[in-house]
Amino acid sequence: MEEKGLHKLSGFPKNKMGKILGYDNDHLKMPNKIIEMGLLPETIFRILYQAPFNGPMYVEFGAEKSRIALREEEGDYIIVEELN
Amino acid sequence: MQENKKKQILLVGNPNVGKSTVFNTLCNKKQKTGNYAGVTVASHSGKYVYENEEVEVIDLPGSYSVYPSSEDEAIFSKYLIDEQKNYAGVVYILEALSLKRGLLLFQQIQDFGIPMILIVNQIDQAERRGVTIDIQKFSEALGIKIIQTNAKEQIGIDEVREAVYNNEFLKADKISFETPNEHKDFIQKLASHKGFDNEYKAWMSLSLGTDLGRIGSVVEQINGSEAKSLVPKRLQVQETVRRYQYVDKILEDVISKKAQFKELLTEKLDKVLVHKFWGYVVFLLILLVIFQSVFFLAEYPMNWIESFFSWLAAFTGEHLPEGPVNSLISNGIVPGIGGIVVFAPQIGILLYFLYLLEDSGYMARVVFLMDRLLRPFGLNGKSIVPLVSGTACAIPAVISTRNIENVKERLLTILVTPFMTCSARLPVYSIVIGLIISEGSFLGIKYKALVLMAMYLLGFLVALLSAAILKGFIKNQGKTYLVMDLPAYKKPLFGYDFKMVLGKVWDFITGAGKIIFIVSIIIWFLSYFGPKQKADELVAANVHLDHSYLAKMGKGIEPVIAPLGYDWKMGVGILTSFVAREVFVGTMSTLYSLEDDAPEVKVIDKMRRDVKPNGEKVFSFATGISVLLFYAFAMQCVSTLAVVYRETKSWKWTGFQVVMMTGLAYFVSMIAYQILK
Repeated sequence: MEEKGLHKLSGFPKNKMGKILGYDNDHLKMPNKIIEMGLLPETIFRILYQAPFNGPMYVEFGAEKSRIALREEEGDYIIVEELN
Repeated sequence: MQENKKKQILLVGNPNVGKSTVFNTLCNKKQKTGNYAGVTVASHSGKYVYENEEVEVIDLPGSYSVYPSSEDEAIFSKYLIDEQKNYAGVVYILEALSLKRGLLLFQQIQDFGIPMILIVNQIDQAERRGVTIDIQKFSEALGIKIIQTNAKEQIGIDEVREAVYNNEFLKADKISFETPNEHKDFIQKLASHKGFDNEYKAWMSLSLGTDLGRIGSVVEQINGSEAKSLVPKRLQVQETVRRYQYVDKILEDVISKKAQFKELLTEKLDKVLVHKFWGYVVFLLILLVIFQSVFFLAEYPMNWIESFFSWLAAFTGEHLPEGPVNSLISNGIVPGIGGIVVFAPQIGILLYFLYLLEDSGYMARVVFLMDRLLRPFGLNGKSIVPLVSGTACAIPAVISTRNIENVKERLLTILVTPFMTCSARLPVYSIVIGLIISEGSFLGIKYKALVLMAMYLLGFLVALLSAAILKGFIKNQGKTYLVMDLPAYKKPLFGYDFKMVLGKVWDFITGAGKIIFIVSIIIWFLSYFGPKQKADELVAANVHLDHSYLAKMGKGIEPVIAPLGYDWKMGVGILTSFVAREVFVGTMSTLYSLEDDAPEVKVIDKMRRDVKPNGEKVFSFATGISVLLFYAFAMQCVSTLAVVYRETKSWKWTGFQVVMMTGLAYFVSMIAYQILK
């Protein structure tokens, strides 16, 4: 994932717009809920907050501006790119 | 009178779409109690009558998909599929602001061939944000009857009733989910083999993974590489992504957006409420306000109740014929029941706050804040909800663990939640603290209040500590994760929640009241009769308490409880408390009122004066602390045990919980007594 512009969702800078590109190769281990809740490829998102000590991330996403909390471990499955 | 026709419908939707509001406005008849709503997990049912038709509404727990990832959702899917014969159709609720997410589950159910009516709730909210939904087009695209509602304002509810009455439930005429080409062959074979009437049912039985063992003969007909790709998880992901693509296409035509909308209130509130620092400060403040109200606001109604019961006790004492029955009623049963009713305001206030917090959307933020802090203890952020509601009662708290997806985290939460100071402990704590802690205050806070607060803190700390220890002994099954919707804040349903609280409090009073009533009578009998003293009698009646059967039994267990500093009466109190903790108060009232011939002396004063044969006070500081610790830790609640068994389906863990908690209680109380005496 060292290509320019490609990141994992965890570690993505706060308050920047990003787009979900897809999932890690390992994604069969990823909780289904991530996809069911609507974190699908092509979705635009923004990380608004993160709880202390690398706690869960607070992500706002999609046209409906849904809000979701997920841990960094879950964020590791999601490949994203930064939007300008 | 004309016999009503009967019909059952299911209320289904994602979590946080206003489902409970619709449920409440729809059901105007008395709801079935016994399921613990509020911290809403269990399904519950209500009724209404429309045009001579009685409709039972089953409110299923909210879910995002038919593929369950938690116990809650498993209940949901099981009911939806297994009970199909019993219900007329599904009333599906979509929230206008999150149509996309809601349509996933909607289509799954529709493809399953279940007849539905669709409600689009809170359309006004969407319009306020510049989003217009073309209901006509929407209804055509989905092939279903759509009713717009604003449940809070009662708008559209009668239309729903009318549609249910007219059976306007519709089945889809075609399946919206197209089986991926690479699996089409196999799915068709499977469908005809198993007799499914549509492809999606075959697909779902594969995706659920539960059927794999039973389709051996079909699997053999396909080649190895194809079988390999039939991983349930992969199929589910494939389905979800496809369905969302389809949903996007539908919504493109249906929704027109004027401007980007913003959830202003939620955005502003969350700046503070999930803040790295202020978020925690606010949470602590909220807890503080709750406990302040529980102890200080409740004082007024508690005083009224207390005076009423003293009046009643005096009244019955005066007007009933003299004798043992008089003493049983006026000194045993009335004060015993009064001793419980007096705690109704505290329990009510606590529950009310919990309901409001859940309702407003705040609880999800608490989960967000606490997740990282609870993980070292083997718990999940979602464990905070059972832990906090455990301060009211462990029973709904244990049930509310159902939305914790990970089996180990859920089990741990169930095992440690009963350590939280529940309201049944309050009566015991209050009496004992009243006996052993002096008046006076520190920095304006009464010593008694401080000790009580310490007991709450102790319960919480022991819950965390035991989780940290136990996590090493429980096998981990599956990954732990947190993926949780953070709903928009909304004004809680103050009136409805209040009604729910009244119901719960009434259940508590009547439940505890019945037990105390029966226990009081048994104790009275056992203390009125004793082993025969003369050769010619069967049993001795009207014996002195010390010669009664009760004393004999109590003295029988004395060797076990003596190291904890208890005399036989407390032993009886503790024994009866294994039914429910609050029974202790009733037992003590009965025992002490039977004891001597000074009915005008208050029970608590008798307890204070009581001495052991060696002249020591029965309720010394050391014994008092020992009792407090025993009640803090021991598993003394049959109802909680029953629920723990139901939720874990394991005698091993239920038994373990009893032994662990009660063993710890015995050990700690003994040490405390031996050090302090």
